[in-house]
Amino acid sequence: MMERKPKNIFVEGPITPIKIGNSIENHSKKTGIGGHSIFLGQVRADVKEEGTVKGIEYTCYEEMALEKAFEIREDVFAKYPLTCMHIYHSLGYIKAGEICLFVFTSSKHRKAAIDACEELVERIKKEVPIWGKEIIGEEKAVWKENK
Amino acid sequence: MGKIKVRAFGMIAEKLPSNELELENIANTDQLLGYLYQQYPALKHTKFSIAVNRKQVHGNELILPESEVALLPPFSGG
Repeated sequence: MMERKPKNIFVEGPITPIKIGNSIENHSKKTGIGGHSIFLGQVRADVKEEGTVKGIEYTCYEEMALEKAFEIREDVFAKYPLTCMHIYHSLGYIKAGEICLFVFTSSKHRKAAIDACEELVERIKKEVPIWGKEIIGEEKAVWKENK
Repeated sequence: MGKIKVRAFGMIAEKLPSNELELENIANTDQLLGYLYQQYPALKHTKFSIAVNRKQVHGNELILPESEVALLPPFSGG
């Protein structure tokens, strides 16, 4: 088996519905797959004391983030019988309503895909050094906190 | 003693004059924190963790010369 190497998970700007659609289509020849699970994170227009969130500016510690994402990826591949796994996270400014996280798992049967997808999302949010700054107006911003 | 590179991210970067500092005579993370709190008191009110060469550390950890140390506020990806 080929040794897997860290992949770039980062995308500059929002993740477009076209990219997501293409990504699904790319699996049509892998006919051993019986189920996909997809999580899409969307930027929410939270109403805060300072005003309404217009978008989030994402930054990361890229070298560490890619190492961490690779470690999580290997762990989840080892734990579940998956055929495929894809992780994309946005960097830069993402407007409210746009997609900033795309996690896509595929397996022979649904359960592994669903459980792996959920575990990936939780671990990405908790362990990967990415920061979101919620932009409120021309001058105001609040650093995002993960719940 | 060699130099170390300190990189700051997120809200920590906004509390330092630059998001990259080069420091000398720092042997461990406790010494680093002492220096940072003295130079940049605003950091005392900000939660952050430390990574040495891209691995998060807990407790006092040695910092070898030429290391890259990162100051990481709580992650908020997704």
